[in-house]
Amino acid sequence: MNDIAFNRLLVVLRHGPHGSSWLREGLEVALVGAALGQDVSLLFYGEGVTALLKEQQVGPLAQKGTQPMLEMLPMYDIESLWVDAEALATYDLTLDELVVPAKEVGRHEVSDLFQRHRLVLNF
Amino acid sequence: MPSSEIYRYLDVGRNKVPLDTESYLIHLNDWTPAVAQAMAAEEGRELTDLHWEVIEVLRDFYHRFEMAPSMRPLVKAMTQTYGPEKGKSIYLMRLFPDSPAKVGARIAGLPKPANCL
Amino acid sequence: MILHTLNRSPATSRVYQQTLDAMASEDRLLLIEDGVQGALPSLSPLFGELSGRLYVLQEDVISRGLEERCDPSIHVVNVDGFVLLTEEADKIVSWF
Repeated sequence: MNDIAFNRLLVVLRHGPHGSSWLREGLEVALVGAALGQDVSLLFYGEGVTALLKEQQVGPLAQKGTQPMLEMLPMYDIESLWVDAEALATYDLTLDELVVPAKEVGRHEVSDLFQRHRLVLNF
Repeated sequence: MPSSEIYRYLDVGRNKVPLDTESYLIHLNDWTPAVAQAMAAEEGRELTDLHWEVIEVLRDFYHRFEMAPSMRPLVKAMTQTYGPEKGKSIYLMRLFPDSPAKVGARIAGLPKPANCL
Repeated sequence: MILHTLNRSPATSRVYQQTLDAMASEDRLLLIEDGVQGALPSLSPLFGELSGRLYVLQEDVISRGLEERCDPSIHVVNVDGFVLLTEEADKIVSWF
């Protein structure tokens, strides 16, 4: 397992926007990691896939939306975005409906993704 | 969004602009080029056309993404707008000694970059 | 080997399913806090695929009065055992 580059970080996002601050916090950790030179990947897992909906807006109490943050990811060189294929089906979504480009990953491939990163942070 | 209490006021012509403890604007809408000039003058910095290019890029970044950039994305945004010669941290360090992302955000009237050491 | 920890009861939260899906064949799972309810014989079959790789934290079991009620096939570890599991793992992933 020691052949994994020490700077590979996987941030797992398991919550949608607005219901809690987990999504924004996870994205902020990803940005901090990238700002510090980490090679960051994101996995949108379970409910986390709803963070990628194009139609999302600011919250009813003017909470910031996540769309500008998602669109900013390439500026931090965060280009490796994975999305839980099973959850896409659960929420009746397809890849081309997402706000940023992402690659599908099947449930049996999620464990590979975990093994390939030096550090995995769950949000 | 005002994030902190007023610590002091900056004199800009006949106006007084409220600042926080780290001299960032309390109200981002207060920003004008004259505010940037006054902030820079206070710190003994002179704003040349090259500085204004960076300020433009910073303000555009905030407008698009609602966050002030740290160094890495600022360098990338400079590259995209002005090419690789100006998309270098050393270039930005010469224009804004100390910390280009923090100093630049302050003078450009943005909040302090959150993910920036 | 990754050590996963789970602090939600499988009777009230489906996080356990996400956890199982993310586990590789060598990985271990430690049930902590409300997660220890998963050690009850009525719920432990949910973790059946983990045979031998399922652990439960003794302190949390005792404080919930479940010590005599746990499925005997599950390894009970105390905090020192938790530390040992941590040392043997490449990394830790917590589920909540």
